[in-house]
Parts: sequence; C-alpha cells; structure tokens
Amino acid sequence: MIKWEDITENMEIPSITKDPITQVQLVRYAGASGDFNPIHTVPDYAREAGLDGTIAHGMLIMGMMGQMISSFAGVKNVKRYAASFKNITKPGTVLICKGVIKRKIENGSEKTAECKVWVEDTAGDIKLEGKVSLSF
Amino acid sequence: MLDLSYQGKDFPEFHFEVERCKIKELCTAIGDDNPLFYDKEYAVQNGYKDIPAPLTFPTLINFWGYTDLWKNLTLMGVDVKKLLHAKEEYEYLAPIYPGDKLTGKVSVDSMRDSSAMDMVTFKSVFSRDNKEVLIAKMTIVVPKGAV
Repeated sequence: MIKWEDITENMEIPSITKDPITQVQLVRYAGASGDFNPIHTVPDYAREAGLDGTIAHGMLIMGMMGQMISSFAGVKNVKRYAASFKNITKPGTVLICKGVIKRKIENGSEKTAECKVWVEDTAGDIKLEGKVSLSF
Repeated sequence: MLDLSYQGKDFPEFHFEVERCKIKELCTAIGDDNPLFYDKEYAVQNGYKDIPAPLTFPTLINFWGYTDLWKNLTLMGVDVKKLLHAKEEYEYLAPIYPGDKLTGKVSVDSMRDSSAMDMVTFKSVFSRDNKEVLIAKMTIVVPKGAV
C-alpha cells in the first residue's frame, strides 16, 4: 500500500480493468448488498421501467472504484469517498477505473492527498465521477 | 408527488452486526480479490485489527439493516420504478471490522421537488459504542416527464 512519501501531484493511480459485467454478477451483487431493486435483475421489470434490459447497480460500479482505491491506499487511509453516477451500465460492459492525485497538502501533522477518480467503459463513456481524500 | 413533510425526518434506529462472511460476499460480487478483505493474517500484517469492511460496505448496512427503506421511499411519494441513484458519499471516521455491533440512524437530509425532477438525500450515521464511525449520504432522483 502506498506511502505518503511516494505520492506526488498529478500522479496516476494504477488503473484496473474489470471483467465484463454479467447478469449473474448483478444477481450476486443484489444478494450481497441487499439492493433487490428488480431493475437490476429482472429483464421484464426493467423493460416495463422503460429500459431495454437490466442495468448494473450504481453501487457495484462504486464498489469497483473502491477496489482501485483500496488496492492503492488500503482502507484506513481513506477519509472521504464521494461518487456521482453519470450513466447507466448494461451487462456485458467492460469498465476501467482510473484516478489521479490532484493535490498533496501538508498542514502540520495532517497529511492529505485529494484524488479525482472516474470509471469509464472501453468507448470512453463516463459512468462515475468521484473524489477521494486520503489521509496519512 | 413528493411528500415534503418528510424533510428532516429521523427514522428509527437499527442495529447491525458486521459479519466476516458479508465482507467476503460483497468483495466477491464486486470482483475485488484484495487479500486485505479475505485473509486476517494479511490484514494484521498491514496494520489492521482484522479484515476491514470495504469502502462501499455502508450500502449493505443500510439495505440489510434497514429493510424499511424501500417502503419509506414509497410512503414519501418516490416513484421507485423511475428512481435513479445520483450520488453517494462516505466519510470514514474509523475502520469497521467483523463482530462490530453498529447502530444506524437514517434521516432525510434534504428534499427537492422541481418541475424537472424529485430529489431526496438520505443521511445515515453509524455508531459503535456510542462513537460515530461512519457517515453516509445517498441522493436519489426521479426524473419527471419525458426523459
């Protein structure tokens, strides 16, 4: 896990490319998270709601981004994590999680790194934009 | 039609015990294979007391710990079929570990009823031994008219 000394402004956080999202993964995520909104798991329901099929849970996408953050900085050093959901994601999509260190701030004993993070698909369509504060 | 009288409302407290298995289940569903979430020995070597809850674990605490959430959305006048998750925000005050007994409290942080959309932000505060460990905010929107 990264150390404060090794962080520099404009440094890229190692990106991760996820396996294609599967319908089974959405069922699994529904059970794990407890979010049983059928829009994610029941194609007929999703069509009634005006979509052409099920869509991934936004929180699954945020969880994938969480994987990138924790692979980089663990859990303890993460003080804030905020995400905005920008677009829907259908099963079959390959997502890529990316991030960059925007600012490194040292204020007495407080050491903080502010990061910009985002998730996009292979066509560059942004699914999630977020901000993360790391503290060391 | 949003029932704006819910603005600021506190829902009843609930209790949630963090289970090791739920941490692994969530990480497996995400496809996160970081040993930090599966291997206690590895976690301890890296300065953790045990495997910590992953960053998006709070959503699980709300959905499994406070299953009335969906019912409340309907009561508040939210059209759950058209609901979109717009934002999610976490402030981590202390790591959460298996065996932790948490108390959760959900409140309606803000409500907005405009011609374009309904918007509701919920705030959840989770405490352990009367000390806050995590604050979560979730914003949902319901677009109105033709989308």
